[in-house]
Amino acid sequence: MAAAAARLGFLVCLLAALAPARAGAIEDPAANTRTTTLANGLTVLTLEDHTTPVVSFQLWVRVGSKDEMQYSGLAHLFEHMMFKGSEHLAPERHAQILEARGARSNAFTSRDVTVYFADVTPEALPLVIELEAERLAHLTIDEATLSSEREVVLEERRLRSEDNPNGLGFEALFALAFRAHPYRRPVIGWRSDVEAVDVEACRAFFRNFYAPNNIVIAVTGAFDSEDTLARIERAFGGLPGVLPIPRNPTLEREQRGERRETVLFDLRSPLVFAAWHTPATGHPDAEPLDVLSSILSDGRSSRLYRRLVREEQQALDASGGYWELQEAGLFLAWIGVRPDASAERAERLLFEEIDRLRETRATEEELEKAKRQIEVSLLRGLRTNHALGHRIASEYVSLGRIRPLDERLEAIRRVTLEDVERVARTYLREDGRSVVRVVAPPAAPDAAGPS
Amino acid sequence: MRAPAAALAVALLLGGCAPRLWDLPPPPVIDAPVVDAGRLTTADLENGLRVIVLTDRRLPRVSLGLIARRGADSVPIEHAGLASLSAELMKRGAGDWDAVALAEQIDRLGASLAVSAGWDSMEVAVSGLSRDFDRLLEILTAVVRRPRFDAPEVESARSQRLASLEQAKDEPATLAFWNLARALYPEHRFGIPIEGAPASVAGLDAAALRAYHARVFVARNAILFASGDVEGAAFVSQARSVFGDWPAGEVPEPGPPPPTPTPPERSVVIVDRPDLGQAQILLGHDGIARTNPDRIAVEVMNTILGSGGFSSRLMQRIRAEGGLTYGVYSAFTMRRQPGPFFVSAATRVAEAGRVVDLILEEMSAARDAAPTPDEVQSAKSGIAGRFVLGLETSDAVVGSLVNLDVYGLPADSLDTFRGRLGRVGVGDVQSAARERLWPERAAIVAVGPAESLRPLLERFGPVRVVEP
Repeated sequence: MAAAAARLGFLVCLLAALAPARAGAIEDPAANTRTTTLANGLTVLTLEDHTTPVVSFQLWVRVGSKDEMQYSGLAHLFEHMMFKGSEHLAPERHAQILEARGARSNAFTSRDVTVYFADVTPEALPLVIELEAERLAHLTIDEATLSSEREVVLEERRLRSEDNPNGLGFEALFALAFRAHPYRRPVIGWRSDVEAVDVEACRAFFRNFYAPNNIVIAVTGAFDSEDTLARIERAFGGLPGVLPIPRNPTLEREQRGERRETVLFDLRSPLVFAAWHTPATGHPDAEPLDVLSSILSDGRSSRLYRRLVREEQQALDASGGYWELQEAGLFLAWIGVRPDASAERAERLLFEEIDRLRETRATEEELEKAKRQIEVSLLRGLRTNHALGHRIASEYVSLGRIRPLDERLEAIRRVTLEDVERVARTYLREDGRSVVRVVAPPAAPDAAGPS
Repeated sequence: MRAPAAALAVALLLGGCAPRLWDLPPPPVIDAPVVDAGRLTTADLENGLRVIVLTDRRLPRVSLGLIARRGADSVPIEHAGLASLSAELMKRGAGDWDAVALAEQIDRLGASLAVSAGWDSMEVAVSGLSRDFDRLLEILTAVVRRPRFDAPEVESARSQRLASLEQAKDEPATLAFWNLARALYPEHRFGIPIEGAPASVAGLDAAALRAYHARVFVARNAILFASGDVEGAAFVSQARSVFGDWPAGEVPEPGPPPPTPTPPERSVVIVDRPDLGQAQILLGHDGIARTNPDRIAVEVMNTILGSGGFSSRLMQRIRAEGGLTYGVYSAFTMRRQPGPFFVSAATRVAEAGRVVDLILEEMSAARDAAPTPDEVQSAKSGIAGRFVLGLETSDAVVGSLVNLDVYGLPADSLDTFRGRLGRVGVGDVQSAARERLWPERAAIVAVGPAESLRPLLERFGPVRVVEP
């Protein structure tokens, strides 16, 4: 192994010496990813690298809240049920067994995917494979565990949404920006739906979506590819495929006119959120939108920070970004307004900055700065096996391939000032935006005591 | 339930099907070094500045930083917020760069600059591409040695700090921590957040910030560190050229330890937020110092009690069996001086009393009976595995080495950690629980609607209702 690595290193040096010098060429650690597809449709991405004694195992299921038919929140609630026991293991044992090996393991659900992961030291990888296969083949879903886990999810909902002004704001924003597409629903679900989900709905969801042909596994780090692929084949190869995977057909229609909503909540620091429709993932406007977002809000020299936080002192923080989803995208901006400032004024300043991006071209310096910021942040995302696994799996799931780092960097480098201006004009239109404010309710007349 | 090893052996002898991997006990903790000495360089400059470098050429990036071995702990209570506001000001202009120019410098490199204040240290960290190394080092040096503390910036940062202290009251978890600290340390610096309180922050001016910076950022009190695409010996010589003439200075005195806990009495504080549907519960008492010799046994004990994820007893009872919370965890906040131990959970208001009961029950149970050998083995092997995962990046390794130095702990502590962990026995764990858990004198804080919470919590001790 060491000899092979040394040889490979030599080869890379040789190539680097022969290739024309190109500023900023970066070797992509994901370049050696191997893609294997089993007969039942399960895709396995393996990226072997023995530099550190860590392996990340990630199981990506192509199901998110967008695929829910009857109950919102089912994809997420179901993710919780995956930890509640299987034929050979009691509830919570899966997580406990991994924790006793020092694993960092967890799961998350998004609008597009559900991901289960375990980062472990190398000797625990065979165990992880066995455990994952066990719950995919033999999951138990019963009334007792569902009732108790439903309560856990409702606590999560209180924590993240109902008692949380940021959560409330984002929940309102998505429901406002999307009128038709299932992206409008919160991933955690509406309370009434979570309360109503039953065992049969969970079982049907499992049958419909947790099929090998709807799953991508990524393994990155210190492991032996042959041995691991053989183990995965043995553990998962017998699972039957399901065709077709049911999908919601609803697409969003064009937004004609600004939409607004106010959410009242007992808070000191109001929040302002805005969203504009942008293309789904994989669109060539992604890079100009990333650059635009960086100019707007990346770092203390960015436009929003300088104007809203520093000069006008209306906000404590101001963020923005292009958020790509599989079937649509949003350009988002949100502001934490100072308790001693007004939401109206902060919002006006935000839209002035958006208008400025639409009406006047950004500077050459801003463009170069944004490109560099994106480049450095891409590198930052390559440091751990977990981050690498996340990158290759997410690209494979959303683009159908692993996009070489250089291709992404080149696309960023090609962005011109005209591109930035064009995407600002095309997408950040006043008649296509949705705006949410979270503000304190007006004081009741009897609440104001004598001064 | 896991089958005992003997039963497994019998099953194998009887020719039963191959054991599942999950039936095997977790592996024993391996005693082996973790730091790759070949990539590590350390040096002490003539003025006392320590330099630690870890070379890692996998990516063309570099992280640089400097830590001063004193923080908010060394600030008198009436100046609470001084360390943290100084950190903010160090980002607002250094050397020839005013606040805007410094931000431009950093963003133009795609770099990041963080300056932060902890209880026991101040940290300046810069990271970016290795081809910008000289520029990054120049920024680090300027921020450490020549922060400007321009008066208008001090004014603006102070006003922003007052606004964010107010904003923080929108977060139930923050309110809970503030009020627990106040309840545990009414007269001590630990009773006020690192960020300060409105009254103390209002009194901080440029002169105070400058004086604090000059006292804490001196060579003998500092560690310069680097990791990533950087060569050790070369970095040490660059360090000498930019920090060699930095005055040695004196290591400032740490602050006084918090008073010994008062005689046992449980108390309840309710922070009234009538709008919340969920009560944020935080329960705590005095804990241990970072340098406590029993630290690893305490960590094993706490893993079993409440920091071991789904394996912890608190998580099992309150979330898995009870469906009462999304998350419950316990922690010992280890500082140079003993910091608090706490348990945190959020639950629907009506269940607040039950959750407090369960937490107190589990604390008592941990103290009254020894854990099972299986629990101890699982906790130890879990800690060992997470320890290795936590050192995956060179930045993390250097961060851990620097942290040891801040507390004056042996430099080989990372390499010896798993050996020391392996020697912790069941008895040590139970002693740790007996000596460190005090359910009968815990301060209980709940953030939520006081009207509903009071009747649920008054049986735990005298109740005080406060405004956010």
